[in-house]
This record gives sequence, structure tokens and C-alpha cells, in this order.
Amino acid sequence: MKCDRCNKPATIHFTEIRDGKSLELHLCGECAAKSGYVQQAHLTMNEMLNEFVKAKAGMSNRDELVCPDCGMKWQEFKDTGLLGCPKDYEVFSDQLRGVIENAQNGATHHTGKTPAATMALEDSVKLRQAELSRLKKDLTQALERESYEVAATLRDQIKALEAALPPSR
Amino acid sequence: MNPQIQKLLGKNGEWLASTGPESAVVVSSRVRLARNLADFPFMTKAGRSQRAELHRLCREQLLSMTSPRPFFYIDMEKTDQVDRQLLVERHLISKQHASGDGSRGVAVSDDEAFSIMVNEEDHIRLQVIRSGLQLRECWREADTLDNALGQHLRYAFSDRFGFLTACPTNLGTGMRVSVMLHLPALKLAGEIEKVFVAAKDMHLAVRGLFGEGTEAIGDFYQISNQTTLGRSEEEILAEFVDVILPRLIAAELSARSVLEQERPLMLDDKIGRAVGLLRNARLLSSEEALFGLSHLRLGVAMGRVANLTMPTINRIFLTTQPGHFQRTLGQSLDGDARKAARASYVRQLMTPSGG
Repeated sequence: MKCDRCNKPATIHFTEIRDGKSLELHLCGECAAKSGYVQQAHLTMNEMLNEFVKAKAGMSNRDELVCPDCGMKWQEFKDTGLLGCPKDYEVFSDQLRGVIENAQNGATHHTGKTPAATMALEDSVKLRQAELSRLKKDLTQALERESYEVAATLRDQIKALEAALPPSR
Repeated sequence: MNPQIQKLLGKNGEWLASTGPESAVVVSSRVRLARNLADFPFMTKAGRSQRAELHRLCREQLLSMTSPRPFFYIDMEKTDQVDRQLLVERHLISKQHASGDGSRGVAVSDDEAFSIMVNEEDHIRLQVIRSGLQLRECWREADTLDNALGQHLRYAFSDRFGFLTACPTNLGTGMRVSVMLHLPALKLAGEIEKVFVAAKDMHLAVRGLFGEGTEAIGDFYQISNQTTLGRSEEEILAEFVDVILPRLIAAELSARSVLEQERPLMLDDKIGRAVGLLRNARLLSSEEALFGLSHLRLGVAMGRVANLTMPTINRIFLTTQPGHFQRTLGQSLDGDARKAARASYVRQLMTPSGG
């Protein structure tokens, strides 16, 4: 969303009620400060990033870096606060280090969930489910053949496997 | 109007049920995950055809995933302005998703407990919402949905940075945990600034009713984590559920009992004025309605208002929002005509026999 007064991204949003009429206002930090809506404009993410980058002046050569995958330039990120593709995290890794530490309260590494783990879990669940349906088919056949000893073994195996599977959702 | 959205209109939706734990203070809990596909650029660099392809792919996987509850899919480009507004008011999509352009959509569970936006700021924005304080329940379901989707979609992920997101502020877990709090007593006691300061110290963001870029109307505040990297999902949740929220809830409840003991007249005056406004106004804007509803909710939560229940208040809360009101009315009115219709509608819901 753009600022109502200039073309910068709007970061401050008001609903003003005047004479019983509500008026929506979307302003950037500067315009909001100028109009006296906020005493001191808070730094937006973008401005914060800009400030940070300015503070680390002398990066002009880095500014010319372009991501080979998406064509993103560092300047574009500075303007929008948004990256262009996953590879940007490698291409601009030097510039992003400070930005990330700033935004993430000093954190530098992920410690949470990983998709590999979820894939592996899902795969093992799927494998077990396939095994389960095979055993159930065998059980039906065993019962049809009246091989009750085999059926009992199969039934135990099925029970054990069902207990090991997460509850169906 | 989209027939599936129409079906939602008659209900309050999961998060407004007011049946969850701590619902006197915690209106709703929400867990949101941001995900992107590894083989596509982020939205800023996705061209028209890539956007369409992303949308097709995500929609297809969504429709074929194992879901804990039935859901439907809405194509935003085929949805009119009022329906989009309605989805925003029900917290099923963001303002950004409503006002954006290009190929995009949202999957919504029939009971509105989850919604999954496709092609918002990230390719996938998955949220689970519950009434009251139920953050761990939200996370469990979000995790399940994420696993179901991640089974067939290759997510952009790096060992170091975790889930890669368009904005580095969502990096890592991609998880935003938020609660909607109703803090009228802290506001009346002039203590609300302290909450903001404390929240800032703990790296939390405080926002208004409709999330990012909206102000706090009617003493409703959304509090969420600002950092997503460096801590696991469980650690982020534990901080919220075990540390932050007990303190905030205790502060609001103690402010309520102080008001009750030391300034009962002032308290009943505020509540009484709210009842008066909602029962007697002849021209009512949606903002005014919210201000009134805030004090009314406080009165009901404290047992100081007879003949009104939380579900009625929530019903008014939702149906007086602009998009809902227009749909309820079945026509689009302007200015005073709309305010007059809203006032008469609220009056009707507020009368003991009707409410």
C-alpha cells in the first residue's frame, strides 16, 4: 500500500473519526511525522534496513550484485524489504547477515522444524500404512483359507503396527 | 456473492466462539506459518505465468491433501470486493491479500478454524485460529497441515536459515504466533502504555484488530512474536503460553478487580454508557459500535450486564463490520442511511427478547 501523500510505502494507518465520519489514512513514516499524526515516526523495517546499510557505507561494489536466478539487485531489497528468490539468501549473504541479525534479535541459525524430517516421517508413515494394508489383505485370505494360526500371527502384527502409527487425522 | 462465503455469514466462526480457555481476556489464538516453494522465485519476482503456475500447483496440492477438517477453496480473482472484505473481517485473509492483484487464492475450512493463503507475500501462508487461549492446539494443527502439504511440495529451506521467506523477518520457523487480547481495564486504568513497553522489551509486536497496519480499536490488541529465527517452534510457543500470556492476563484481571473495588461507579458508568449507546443510537458507525462493544464485553465478562451473552456481543461485533453489514443488509447503503440501518440492526440484537 502506498502513502496517500507521496509514493513511498505506507507504514502508518489511521482511521480518523471526524464529525461522525470515518476517514482512512495511509501514510509513510515521514508524512505522518510531518502531518503531526505521530510525534516521532518509528523506523519502519525498510528504513531500518536502509539505515543499517548506510551505516555500512563503502559497499558500492556489493550494490551492483545481481542474483543470477531472479535478477534481484541489492538496491531493490533496500527499497522494498522483500527478496526475489530463495537463492538471494546465498547471493546477498554478506549484506543480509547484519539485516537478519538485526531483525532476529541476534539469531543467526534455525533450530526449529525441518521439512526433511517431516518428509521422512510422512514416508515412514506411508510405508507402514502400505504394510498395514498388505497384512490386512493377507489376513482376509488366511481367514478364507481357514488357516487360523497364520491369521492369529497376522492379527498380532497388525495390532502392533497400528499402535506404532500416529492416530489417523 | 460466492455461495461458500454466504454459508459463513450465518455463523460466528471458530475464533469468535468465546468458548476457549481464558476467553474473558483472550479473544483468540492464532499460529501462522510462511512457506515458499523451492523451485520458484518469491512473489516479488514471479511473473504472470509463474504466478499462475504457482497458484495452480499449490491449489492442486491443497485440494488433494489429507485435511483434519473439510474445507473449500476460493479464487481471489473471481471474488468481489465485498466478499474479500468479509473474509478480512473474519480474519481468514489479510488486507494485503484482499487488495492485491494477480492469481491468488485461499483455502478455508468449513468451520473457519484454518485458512491457507496462496500467493500472498509468501507462496503459502497457513494459519490456524482458535477461540480463547489455545496456542498449542493451533500449533499442533498447523504442524499437521504443514506436514500434509510438505509431503508433495518442495519447500525452500536452508539448513542454516530454515524456511526461506520473502522477508527476512519471517525467516527460520516462518512462524508467527499471535493472540487477540481484550484489555479494556488496563486502558481505563491508564496502564496500557506499560504493556506496550513490556511487549517491546520482550521483542513482541503489538497491533490492532486486523493485524499489520491497523490500529487498536475498542481495546483489542494483537500481540505476536517478532523474531522467527534461532528458537524452535516449541520454544516460541512456550514463551507465549507459559511466560507472556499469564502475566498479561493477570495484569488485566487485576486491573478489573481494582476497578471493581475502588471505582465501581466509573466502571458501571462506562458499561452503562456502552449499553445506552448500542440500545439507543440512531446513527451508528462501525467504529462507534466497536468502542461500545468493548465496554459491553467487559461488563458481560465481569457479570455486570444482565440479559446479554458473549455470543451475542461477538455476533454484533462481526456483523456490524462494513463488509458483513452490507451483506446482512443485502444492499449497499451510503453515509447516514448505512449508519441508521446499523443502529436499528444493533438495537434489535440488543433487546433481551431478540438477543
